[in-house]
Amino acid sequence: MKTIIEPFRIKSVEPIRMTTPRQRERILREAGFNVFLIHAADVVIDLLTDSGTGAMSSEQWAGMMRGDESYAGSPSFYRFQERIREVFGFDHVLPTHQGRASERILFELVGGPGKVVPNNAHFDTTRANIEHSGAVAVDLPIAEAAQPTNRHPFKGNMDVNALERLIDEVGREHIPLVMVTITNNSGGGQPVSLENLRAARAVCEKHDLPLFLDACRFAENAYLIKRRESGMADRSVRDIVREVFALADGATISAKKDGLVNTGGLLLLRDEQLFGRASNLLILTEGFVTYGGLAGRDLEAMARGFEEVLHEDYLAYRVRSIEYLGEKLLEAGIPIVQPPGGHAIYIDAAALGPHIPPRQFPGQAVVCGLYRIAGIRAVEVGSVMFGEPENGREHAARPRSPLELVRLAIPRRVYTQSHIDYVVEAMTELGARRETLSGLRIVYEPPLLRHFTAQFEEL
Amino acid sequence: MTASRHSWAEPWKVKMVEHLHMTSRAQREAAIAEAGYNPFLLPSRLVYIDLLTDSGTSAMSDRQWAGLMVGDEAYAGSENFYRFERTVRQYYGYKHVIPTHQGRGAEHILSRLCIKPGDVVPGNMYFTTTKLHQELAGGRSADVIVDEAHDPDNEAPFKGNVDHAKLQALIDEVGPERIAYLSLETNVNMAGGQPCSLANIRETCALCHRHGIRVFHDATRAIENCYFIQQREPGCADKTLAEILREICDCTDGGTMSAKKDALVNIGGFLALNDDELAERARNLVVVYEGLHTYGGMAGRDMEALAIGIEESVSWDHMHARIGQVEYLGRRLIEAGVPIVRPIGGHGVFLNASRFLPHLPREQFPAQALAAALYVDSGVRGMERGAVSAGRDPQTGKNIYPSLELVRLTIPRRVYTQAHMDVTAESVIALYQNREQVGGLRMTYEPKHLRFFQARFEVSTAG
Repeated sequence: MKTIIEPFRIKSVEPIRMTTPRQRERILREAGFNVFLIHAADVVIDLLTDSGTGAMSSEQWAGMMRGDESYAGSPSFYRFQERIREVFGFDHVLPTHQGRASERILFELVGGPGKVVPNNAHFDTTRANIEHSGAVAVDLPIAEAAQPTNRHPFKGNMDVNALERLIDEVGREHIPLVMVTITNNSGGGQPVSLENLRAARAVCEKHDLPLFLDACRFAENAYLIKRRESGMADRSVRDIVREVFALADGATISAKKDGLVNTGGLLLLRDEQLFGRASNLLILTEGFVTYGGLAGRDLEAMARGFEEVLHEDYLAYRVRSIEYLGEKLLEAGIPIVQPPGGHAIYIDAAALGPHIPPRQFPGQAVVCGLYRIAGIRAVEVGSVMFGEPENGREHAARPRSPLELVRLAIPRRVYTQSHIDYVVEAMTELGARRETLSGLRIVYEPPLLRHFTAQFEEL
Repeated sequence: MTASRHSWAEPWKVKMVEHLHMTSRAQREAAIAEAGYNPFLLPSRLVYIDLLTDSGTSAMSDRQWAGLMVGDEAYAGSENFYRFERTVRQYYGYKHVIPTHQGRGAEHILSRLCIKPGDVVPGNMYFTTTKLHQELAGGRSADVIVDEAHDPDNEAPFKGNVDHAKLQALIDEVGPERIAYLSLETNVNMAGGQPCSLANIRETCALCHRHGIRVFHDATRAIENCYFIQQREPGCADKTLAEILREICDCTDGGTMSAKKDALVNIGGFLALNDDELAERARNLVVVYEGLHTYGGMAGRDMEALAIGIEESVSWDHMHARIGQVEYLGRRLIEAGVPIVRPIGGHGVFLNASRFLPHLPREQFPAQALAAALYVDSGVRGMERGAVSAGRDPQTGKNIYPSLELVRLTIPRRVYTQAHMDVTAESVIALYQNREQVGGLRMTYEPKHLRFFQARFEVSTAG
């Protein structure tokens, strides 16, 4: 059989509420043209994020019922810990309420003024946590990452030569660790090859620097390695995951992606002393070491989720459904980042709306257009998310966003092919009326992570 | 009619059960030694009756479980958030509601926002995590609770009250501009679950506001406090718990909440603020540390369960049964002559370890020793609330020996039956009768912060 089907059937459904174009126009204006501020009930298809929005399996729901809510020493924790050790090969495992808490603990320990943290590309909350500690976050993607139509198979790769140069330039004593994000979310959900990870590891070893992974989508990355990297086709995903993590000294993971849960995160560490300090901070701000700010039932659901995500039938379905959306959009003449990544399709808004300059946020214009036409919620990944306030602080290492993208993130196991066909139809219609898209300007913005709460006006 | 009912039969029946494991004394002896005589380090499957904490350990109702199934897990604008926000506004009355994954997330943000290095934060006693957040933000806490709170045998009805003379003296000494805010905890945990009176809360807030000092309410067990006000304070007998709660909250400028206690959920919390500008700054921080301001690190389903839990928590019948059960255990112990903190508190019974084990000096941590001995005797897990919890003085580095050296037997809500309480009482009484056999402990590992969680001990060979 050539057709790839979902390796599951549906056990529980959630109704979708339809809206009219007039209602949506009012809702969009009330939200200040920021879809983060729209009520979820007013969204038809929610592609805002794949984070925490997946559907759990009946096995995971059974785990929810089994959760032991003891404050200390819950059996749910021990089951969770055993599974995590087995999947990732790390002895020191800390649960956190979600990924950004892992990042905050890590950078509160190793960040601070004068420090520089390189990454292939930092995601928004990682950058915010690094900068909040006083350190500087530097992106070192390969050049191909900035070329949306270049079909390089591993556009998430880090520019390892640039890493060497950065270390020489700022001095290894100012670099607490080197981070690699798998898959590279801000660069289009693009995978990082095992070869590139090995090369990054070699540079780290040469300079005696620890290598950390931001590994939210580690399973999708491993599956894309299996599919795209030479010599990997016959290896199991589980085996690739073990090798990837064996290269690292630590990892922050938001379990809301490949953990297939609605809330939860991990901090994995090798260094005993760092683990001790992280445990103390965890207790202070998250919760005791055997629950980390999660209910016992959430630990159970995570333990099962990290197992289910490694099933290759699931990953084949997952990656294929993203490819399907990408192929249909390309057929309709919509410019997207190629090749499709692991969790989302990224529309090249600069190419779709060339009449809108970056300072008028073409990505945000596409996001608003898509909501108006069909009630679909996407997210801007461009100058709104990564740009500087016009009168803001200067960060030498922080460029304007190289790409103006709109991310259509696909929640795991939630939407069917007909939902995706609806998205394709809406995008096709938007493409046909692309010249009607109008730019925006920001009328309110907070000092950090402005995309979440900023307010806009149409020009 | 209901208010005069004396029995405390639970206003619910059991819908789902969770099996307990029985252990032998030999197994427990090995387990506690393995755990370094710290009950926090025991795996819970080796615990029979778990009275470590009432935090997040309660049983949800069938309505709450149903709420879990209607969780809307959208990243932004989840319907569950709006319901949760409405419910908090309705019952607690604060204007801005910022969700956090649990109470310490709210404390963390409040401390970062409001405390400058060198500031003083007065409070009615202290709580472990609250105090540390204040210290890490550069402040220091100052205890302004009434003296009665430090006397476990004093029967005063409102031992959680603020001593206004102490508070005024502190304001005069450091100046109101060096006071970050007053931290007002209702049903003071470390004092033994002791309430504040409504009159005292009003006067405390008025005094602070005259000096331009804000009052933030640690509302974790506020509704248990409301029950005591209704039962004990003149003129309050005819008020509902919900009315009293609004009266308390309306005096204050905002609050932090660990929803894992009163609100009957396993996870969740919030920060509530009336000031628009402060709320805006809090929303900017919550997105960095916790999650977007419409989920704050909670799953949608958890916000739904929390909203339902708040509605259930203000029910008089619920609270009557809740506190009635605690009182039942306390009375059995008092009748047997066991020294406990009096009056009996709202969320647990606090054994007075100094009087229980008078042969042990404070340096041998009598409360820790008693908690370990109770576990060995019957598999009941309690928590030390004495010198180990108090930690060291940040200036001198010396052990703090608080006036109260207690073992807290905290009762999870809606979980254990009267028979479980009987087993607990029998074990404590048996231990009391053979108390001279309980030996002291010596600390062998001490973490820097919040040492009680992970400290390790061995049996003391001294004396």
